[in-house]
Amino acid sequence: MHELAIAQSIVDVVEQRASECRATHVKGVRLQIGEASGIFPDSLTFSFEMLAGLSPLLEGARLLIETVPHLAHCQHCAREFVVEQFVPRCPLCAEWSADILSGTELHILEMEIE
Amino acid sequence: MPQVTIAQNILAPNETIAAEIQQTLTTLQIRTLNIMSSPGAGKTTLLECSIAYLRNKLRIGVIEGDIETSADAERIEAAGAATVQINTRGACHLEAHMVLDALAKIELSQIELLIIENIGNLVCPAAWKLGEDLRVVVMSVAEGDDKPAKYPQMFATAQVLVLNKLDLLPYVDYDLEKVKRQVFAINPHLRVFEVSCRTGVGLDAWCEWLVDFARGEK
Repeated sequence: MHELAIAQSIVDVVEQRASECRATHVKGVRLQIGEASGIFPDSLTFSFEMLAGLSPLLEGARLLIETVPHLAHCQHCAREFVVEQFVPRCPLCAEWSADILSGTELHILEMEIE
Repeated sequence: MPQVTIAQNILAPNETIAAEIQQTLTTLQIRTLNIMSSPGAGKTTLLECSIAYLRNKLRIGVIEGDIETSADAERIEAAGAATVQINTRGACHLEAHMVLDALAKIELSQIELLIIENIGNLVCPAAWKLGEDLRVVVMSVAEGDDKPAKYPQMFATAQVLVLNKLDLLPYVDYDLEKVKRQVFAINPHLRVFEVSCRTGVGLDAWCEWLVDFARGEK
């Protein structure tokens, strides 16, 4: 259900941009989805394909998803590390003070039109 | 085949409206909480108790989100707060445009604190900003002590956690210390209140915090 609402937002944005560009058809849409964004890519693809099928402009459009890792920077030892299961604790020095660098992205990067 | 750059946050349309709401409320010196939990954790009861406790101390307005029925809005109204009900008719979370519509139905000059009670759901509401200053998660001890680890995004994006139904602790397998370890691992800055709406334990600290928050003292 969550992914369906996200897919609807993508379709809305893409339809608007495509009509601004006077495109006759959208062939594909490329996204960047962070690992910590709470989005399951397969569900998002399923929802997007269903909604695209209802849109004359997007019918048959493919969704390409780039996954962005959940990374943090340790303020204590200055290393970059992968955040496991949302716990931002440095695996090297075991400190809790970390800045999140990436992983929450929900971005539409570009679309391919004709 | 031309490629067209879009470079836009998927939730940007929602976040634009949320920022407008926050700006409007800040200008009116109204502070706002977005309260979230799984169904049955006790959000509405916590609000009823808080409104009753703060009756002569703080003017509170409430936006009630539910999939169906106005039962909760009626409870909040009876407790003494200005209330607007939003029914999402199936949608699993509130979105900023729904809150914007609801704001038009509240006499904003009459309130100091706005509380938005989100749909009971530990997953989807975490992704949608509603114009709130802070996010509050309510969790009851009857839900099991593994929820923060299972629904980390909700606990990672909140600033306050209210652990409710503390009176049930002797009857359920719920390890309070384990829960605190989990939530502080995900979110070391989370402020935690332990309450029982049934017995009233802990409500004083929570309600005093609400007053400080509404007056801008956090």
